[in-house]
Amino acid sequence: MIHIDPIYNPLNFLRASFSRRLNFVVAILASVVFSVALVFLFEQSRQTVQNEAMDHATQLLNNTALRVNNILEQVEVATDNTGWLVSRHLDAPDSAYVYSRAIVQNNEQVAGCSVSFEPYYYRDRGRYYSIYTKREMGQVMTKQEGSESYEYFYMDWYQLPKLLGHPAWTEPFLDEDREEEAVQDKMILSYCKPILDEKGTYVGTIATDLSLRWLSETISAVKPYPHSYSFMIGLGGTFFVHPDPDKLLYQSIFTETLLQDNPERLALGKAMVSGEEGMRQLILDGELCHVFYKPLGETGFSAAIVCPERDIFYGYNRLRNVVILIFILGMLLMHIILSAIFRREIRPLSTLAEQAETIADGHFEQTLPNNGRIDEIGRLCQSFSEMQQSLVTYIDEIKSTSAEKASIERELYVARDIQMSMVPRIFPPFPDREDIDLYASMTPAKEVGGDLYDFFVEKDSLYFCVGDVSGKGVPASLFMAVTRNLFRVIAQQGQSPEEIANQINHALSAENDQGMFVTMFIGMVDLTTGRLDFCNCGHNPPVICEPGRKACFLPMQYVNTALGTWDGFEFQGESIPDIRKWQILLYTDGLNEAENPKYELFGNDHLIELMNGVSQMTAQEIIQMLQEEVEKHRSGAAPNDDLTLLSLSIKE
Amino acid sequence: MKNIPPILAFLAALLLGGAAEAQQKYVFTPQWTPQAQFAGYYVAQELGFYKDAGIDLEIVHPNSTESAMSRLRQDKSHFTTIQLCQAMEIIDSGMPLVNILQTSMNNGLVIVSRNHLNPAQQKGIRVGTWSVGFDQIALAMSLKEDLNYQWIRFANTINLFLAGAIDATLAMSYNEYYLLKQSGVEVTEENTYRFCDHNYNVQEDGVYMKPDFYEKNKEVAHRFAEASKRGWIYCAEHPDEALEIVMKYVTMYHVATNRVMQKLQLDEILRLQVDRDSGQREFRLRPDMVKQASDLMLESQLLLKEVTYEQILAR
Repeated sequence: MIHIDPIYNPLNFLRASFSRRLNFVVAILASVVFSVALVFLFEQSRQTVQNEAMDHATQLLNNTALRVNNILEQVEVATDNTGWLVSRHLDAPDSAYVYSRAIVQNNEQVAGCSVSFEPYYYRDRGRYYSIYTKREMGQVMTKQEGSESYEYFYMDWYQLPKLLGHPAWTEPFLDEDREEEAVQDKMILSYCKPILDEKGTYVGTIATDLSLRWLSETISAVKPYPHSYSFMIGLGGTFFVHPDPDKLLYQSIFTETLLQDNPERLALGKAMVSGEEGMRQLILDGELCHVFYKPLGETGFSAAIVCPERDIFYGYNRLRNVVILIFILGMLLMHIILSAIFRREIRPLSTLAEQAETIADGHFEQTLPNNGRIDEIGRLCQSFSEMQQSLVTYIDEIKSTSAEKASIERELYVARDIQMSMVPRIFPPFPDREDIDLYASMTPAKEVGGDLYDFFVEKDSLYFCVGDVSGKGVPASLFMAVTRNLFRVIAQQGQSPEEIANQINHALSAENDQGMFVTMFIGMVDLTTGRLDFCNCGHNPPVICEPGRKACFLPMQYVNTALGTWDGFEFQGESIPDIRKWQILLYTDGLNEAENPKYELFGNDHLIELMNGVSQMTAQEIIQMLQEEVEKHRSGAAPNDDLTLLSLSIKE
Repeated sequence: MKNIPPILAFLAALLLGGAAEAQQKYVFTPQWTPQAQFAGYYVAQELGFYKDAGIDLEIVHPNSTESAMSRLRQDKSHFTTIQLCQAMEIIDSGMPLVNILQTSMNNGLVIVSRNHLNPAQQKGIRVGTWSVGFDQIALAMSLKEDLNYQWIRFANTINLFLAGAIDATLAMSYNEYYLLKQSGVEVTEENTYRFCDHNYNVQEDGVYMKPDFYEKNKEVAHRFAEASKRGWIYCAEHPDEALEIVMKYVTMYHVATNRVMQKLQLDEILRLQVDRDSGQREFRLRPDMVKQASDLMLESQLLLKEVTYEQILAR
């Protein structure tokens, strides 16, 4: 497995620096915008250059064709001007000498002229009668031709007008009799015209020769670009004018297509031999060229100008390359300058980042330099500086508050200890009395709570109570302390539960500006008879479990009001004749209203259900069981109220 | 080495005799200007096969004023190539000839028509043919098939056809056929009539001599034929090298052709040398083809009387 160091990961390289990323994005955007603009510009320019080149080449070709046609026309006119005389004087065979010679002598561009007749047309002249005048080396010579080895009537120039029935130009052909050395001088093409007698019957051919040099020079002179060239092909695609001597006469435009497929060249050749005019792009001799072609008069020949693309687009390509170079250099320069600018602009942020890291390490005293900028970065630095100062102040405040809070917490812990010490916490509470099984617990929801319980034995009577002060925290705890003291003091006077309630109520109601109150269940058991006297002052009904019966809430006739709410209220007490062997549970609403994280209550039904199985349990076991059940119900939720439990069972 | 064994003496006499004979120069004239049609002879000459056979040979091509047959008649050449039908025509006209080597085993004559039309389905059309012959089978076919072609003789090759002055033209499958293709003419099976595919498969090129010269120089004729055959076999086995040699001759004589055309011609010539029945280069005159040619030409009155296989073949 290949491990790539994250440092060399290009993405990480970009991610690591904002200026780098910004520079990259700018470079990309600039490249895209400029590239699109340049491509458009190049395309348009190229099209313009191409159009101009096409116009230029087409114009040149048209001019060339016009010049060639002029030359051809001169020959045609020269032939026509004299040819009709031949037909008129068919009765005078020797006149052929005169006309043949006249055409050559009177027309400088004419290389030769033949006035030839069908075999045995003139019986007395035999099978062959062809008068031929040719211009050679500046001399004009006339002779009679035709023999077994030269049967002129099989020649193209003779047969074409005969077979076609109208004048025609031959393909250029090599006249071996000519003494000139240059091929162009030996190559001639002939304008051939039928000689008709007075009945319109074909009797012979008058053929006027034109040296290919005339056409060759005219066509070869066309050279619009340094590497461009012109060529001319005949009816069968044979090259009759071409700068490559190997191709001249020996090859046709189709030759290269015979052994290997070359559809473009084939199409060009077909178009040219078909007499079409136009332009085609194709690869010639390994180079992309534009070939402009046009037919030459009625000859069936076609001339073409080959313009290599590199020539046509030479200026354009040079300009394009320079522009591309400038573009690349410009982009590089822009990249360098932007890098420097971005780095300089972003530097305060880097400094800020470093200092933020220092502050993050806890060095709040670090001072931020003022860079004097008023832009966003300057404002950010300023804001950050202010934030840092606020942070320092805030942290100081937190420190101070934390110290105060710690002090308060310490005091609260002391208060808690004091509060807890106010209720009996030693179990079993009456080790010398086996008839009393009593267990109690008090768990404040906060450091200190507003619940209370108490019990004591006075003259074979067990006094006990469980109370719940309205509210929580310190005020409730103080109210609880007062209530507990009142209970202890009043109960020890041997008062009945309702009397105790009346007195506590009176004491609490006086000067109770805070409007606090306490619910309380006060009970007194005569340990000799098992009789329970009780007074419920607005408190939750205790749960009782009689032997052999299901657990239930203690049915009460009087619920009374809470203590401290109504001065002078007459509390009503009740009694149960014998509660021995009963299990009695007193509790605060921290039990049945304990909430789980979903705010579902522990519930009275659940409590009764649990209490159904406690007949064989000790008071301590019941309390522990209930504490565990509450803990389980809370499922980690914080206690929502103080929880106080007191379980009592009197044995016989 | 005092006593020379009689057998060695005999061999020495033979060698000396051969050396004396080699001093005489022999002339071979193919029937046309230099091209791949004669590649085997050029190869045999260039690679020294004739020299190996003890023949001092000169290859002289015909020109516009002197045909190959004219040279043979005047004893300026000793060997010449000629098509079978042409040879029969000459024999029939009173000039006996003997075949010492038959190279062609198939007929290469075709008719190509304009405008994608089938030549065999156009009666009375103008068909171009060479002014110097090679068309006996075509003339016979025209009569036999009742096509009554109007024959237009031409001196040049395909220009009348290209100019539209004729409707169809005769062509050799190794020469004008490719010239037409090179001229952009669409040559397809549709507009091409191949005589070899229509019961006119008569052999063509062979090497001929005058019988009187042959009778006096049978041994030389035999050696010439064997060396020529060797040349042709070498061509078939080394076509690229043979093409180089052909191009040397073509360039030397300023023939207006090119390598592509010569390559195509050589391939086709070599193909025509393979007998259709045996699949071999047999280098022999087939009696059945001689008989077929004679019958066809008699029927079309190109011959006055039958020319037989025995008359032609050198014994």
